[in-house]
Amino acid sequence: MEERVLSMICVSCPVGCDLRVRVQGKKVLDVEGHSCPRGIDFAEAEVANPTRVFATTVRVSGGKLPVCPVRSRQAVPKERLFDISKEVARLVVPAPVDIGQVILPDVCGTGVDIVATRDLKAKEESA
Amino acid sequence: MADMQVDVAIIGAGPAGVAAGIGAREAGAEDVLVLERDWDLGGILQQCIHPGFGLHAFKEELTGPEYMHRWIERAHKAGVAFLTNSMVFKMESDGSLWVMNPEKGVFHVTAKATVLAMGCRERPLGAINVPGSRPSGIFTAGTAQRFVNMEGYMPGHRTVILGSGDIGLIMARRLVWEGARVEGVFELMPWAGGLRRNIAQCLNDYGIPFYLSQTVIQVHGRDRLEGVTVAGVDEKRRPVAGTERYIACDCLLLAVGLIPENELSRMAGVDIHAATGGPVLNEFYQTSRPSIFAAGNVVIVYDLADWVSQEGVAAGRNAALYAAGILEKPVRRIEVRGGRNVRLFSPQNIVGSGDVTVYFRVLRPIEKRCRIFAEPGLFERRQRYVRPGEMNEIHLKGAALQALPETVTTITLDAEEV
Amino acid sequence: MTDKTFDIVIVGAGIVGATLARELSAYSLRVAVIDKASDIPSGASRANSAMIHAGYDDQPGTIKADFCPIGNRLYHELAAPLDFTLKECGSYVCGFDDDDRIHLEKLLEQGRANRVPGLEIISGETLRRREPYASGDITHALRAPTGAVINNFEAVLAFIDNAQQNGVELFLETELKDLLLSADGAEVVGVATNRGRLFAPVVVNAAGVYSDLVARMAGDDSFFIRPTRGEYYIMDKRIGSLVNSFFFACPTPKGKGITVAPTAENNLLIGPTSIVQPGRDDTSTTADGLAEVIDGARRLIPSIPLNMAITAFSGLRANPDTKDFIVNVLERPLGFVNAAGIKSPGFTSAPAIACHLVELMKDRLAKRISFIPDPTFIPERKHTPRFEMLSLEEKRRLAEADPRYAQIVCRCEMVTEGQIVEAITRGARTVAAVKIWTRAGAGRCQGGFCGPRVVDILARELGVSCEEITRHGGHSRYLVGKTKDYWFRGEN
Repeated sequence: MEERVLSMICVSCPVGCDLRVRVQGKKVLDVEGHSCPRGIDFAEAEVANPTRVFATTVRVSGGKLPVCPVRSRQAVPKERLFDISKEVARLVVPAPVDIGQVILPDVCGTGVDIVATRDLKAKEESA
Repeated sequence: MADMQVDVAIIGAGPAGVAAGIGAREAGAEDVLVLERDWDLGGILQQCIHPGFGLHAFKEELTGPEYMHRWIERAHKAGVAFLTNSMVFKMESDGSLWVMNPEKGVFHVTAKATVLAMGCRERPLGAINVPGSRPSGIFTAGTAQRFVNMEGYMPGHRTVILGSGDIGLIMARRLVWEGARVEGVFELMPWAGGLRRNIAQCLNDYGIPFYLSQTVIQVHGRDRLEGVTVAGVDEKRRPVAGTERYIACDCLLLAVGLIPENELSRMAGVDIHAATGGPVLNEFYQTSRPSIFAAGNVVIVYDLADWVSQEGVAAGRNAALYAAGILEKPVRRIEVRGGRNVRLFSPQNIVGSGDVTVYFRVLRPIEKRCRIFAEPGLFERRQRYVRPGEMNEIHLKGAALQALPETVTTITLDAEEV
Repeated sequence: MTDKTFDIVIVGAGIVGATLARELSAYSLRVAVIDKASDIPSGASRANSAMIHAGYDDQPGTIKADFCPIGNRLYHELAAPLDFTLKECGSYVCGFDDDDRIHLEKLLEQGRANRVPGLEIISGETLRRREPYASGDITHALRAPTGAVINNFEAVLAFIDNAQQNGVELFLETELKDLLLSADGAEVVGVATNRGRLFAPVVVNAAGVYSDLVARMAGDDSFFIRPTRGEYYIMDKRIGSLVNSFFFACPTPKGKGITVAPTAENNLLIGPTSIVQPGRDDTSTTADGLAEVIDGARRLIPSIPLNMAITAFSGLRANPDTKDFIVNVLERPLGFVNAAGIKSPGFTSAPAIACHLVELMKDRLAKRISFIPDPTFIPERKHTPRFEMLSLEEKRRLAEADPRYAQIVCRCEMVTEGQIVEAITRGARTVAAVKIWTRAGAGRCQGGFCGPRVVDILARELGVSCEEITRHGGHSRYLVGKTKDYWFRGEN
């Protein structure tokens, strides 16, 4: 299989290293430009199966706010992000919501849970 | 309500203020009160629901609300008192505060030391001089972020983003994730304003075009925004004739810079630095009014909340020491200056005997081997690059500072190619 | 709206319509004011220099020269009872050479003929002792102590509000479609609007930049309006103290009329340009115009920093080809009254025009309407509290009486929820109207902080969804939908 060199920016941390990744098919042969081992992990994942942590909001009924922020507990396949977004958009969660509460287990069959990222009290309670 | 007396009063319960509360309690202050104008704690990080916080503070990547949740828990455990829905509307030069709260009315808070932690605000359209009409559909990126993430409303169907500050980049992805279109991000400067990883994971991932050295030169639409005219700019950032093009859009988000919010600081007569827009500080986070301290984006706009929290803890600690009368007395005064490639830095004065970290931002990027340094001969570090979007740290040893001859009253920071 | 009957319909709720409505409300008359905008003032009364001119600028013998000094006096008298902000700052016309000196002498003469009090010409040195940031190139200046600045939003609201308290009905988003005439065309019988008909024997044309088109409906083609754009910057309050007075420059061949002034709230206002344009509702700003404003302003006050601009805007002046105000009662159709072409010093002159028009109507239209003084007329009103301006003790009292006055919504201008709710109760329906009433969103962050909160309060108080709230009426909705519905829009 032909060798190719891919350019990418590592998103593992705020440094954002410029990576040059030599690949053959989905196999990473060599990574340059990283400043820590996470750069290699990132490059390998990016070539084989890119994933991202997804964060959005979910509708809440009777809450102090109409929506509550949520995230995928782990990274999910990048190609599924829009499916997940639509799936979460269908939900309505009753208040109160606790941080870490599972809002949607195994979202879109990814094996990853969608969890709340804040406490959200019911409307009449005081903050 | 009855007036209050505390050891340390802190204005703002965002990352800086909550951390300052913890720092103050840990340094022994008895009564530590944080005043927050919102109904909930957390400041702007409440609406920063994306991951990207906490790698330094907690060694894991958290969303803004999760990051603040941990700090707020710590603050509660440390015995920090909070008052929400409490707006400080006036600050006296002694650091005492006039506050109002719907349940408690108007009251006065006197403190032995006060910490400014009001954060920053976004530059609006008027501040950047874009001509045209004034229809609806123009928001600062942070305002749109609040609408989307806290109120549950969409600001537009087709969005153009002016400026490549991080909030703008984050909002580009956020709108795409909610099913809307982003027509492009336009940056006046020849380099990005935000972090590179946000260019990658917020724009490149979704094929959102990113244009450098281009800007919006006209806004169109009487009622609702109908489109913008963009154009390339020359080295002096003036639009280049013939490069204009029209982009249909119903939403324009502005991510064109953040300004420290210092109305109260000014009221109290605190000296404000012309370049940072924040209080002039010494390394104890102490302003020109000795009982008033400051930390976080009210001082200088940081690129990571983790730094803001770290600075908050330190400022709170020093405020507590001052309140107890045991903050180190000034030994000498050394003025910090920025060199040719320095845009902003803090602190501006060094007065004590200990180690000091000075933060600074460069004016222009250097995308090759370079060094950041402090003269005369106090610090040097080699780096692979420096970028305006990322804060640099200069570490100065107390001993080295003390060893400087009396005739040396300034030190100079800079970054240059090697 | 079903058809209604009035004695007088005023077309246009700018300062001319507002002052006239208030003047008429002292009589037992049924008065309607219609305006096509969603919030008032719109048009030239919204976007102008907010200057109450002293009155030396106009040639003796013109209508302007008569009205301007009287209007000036009336604003000073009415500021307290009608509770609008007027700042006695005085004005300077600045000269840069001997030719300008001659011009200043002429203005001085005119002013004296127009009975403007207190005028004097001072040297550049004297000026700079009083105004340290004034340009060193200024050689002489004409001082007019009675020049003042006003909060023009508040003034229009004050007159309309007081008129409404005294029974005048205001119809917003109500656009004149046609003038209703008797079968023979000799008399006015009312107006047709987008929201139905209003019958009245007297119709007043106070339609500003549209006033020539309204006059055409009555067959009056004696004048036409050349909409004249004026662009401005508003600068941060932090540099509001660069000037203490209103600064004009003597006109030059290159440019004229760029002024530098404090506003009633201590911002700095610079502008306007003066560009005749075809469009009657295009209030865009332009790069060239804004550059001209900066250049012109720096000629007077060289140290004005551009980075202190908080917003730019433009207004369209109703500039008549006749050069003078058109204030008359037509013979045919009888009942049609013009208060048209009221360009600068129109805002200043408006209260005087209103008094004059009432006398004119009494004289000429007595057969159509009777002017019987209304014994229940209340000549005063209160604006919503201006929280920022109150003393600590007043703030405390207000906050304790109503907790909504202890909830700050706009941090830049220190506007409380209580003020916003009161503005909505008194008629504000849009984000722009809330700003006009309270200044929420008028500060240095331009609504970045308070925008979402104002939208929330409007929706709550009006009992509608946030999506229905507009910036300034029409199609200017603030938001385009709810996030979670957004993926499924178009689906049932």
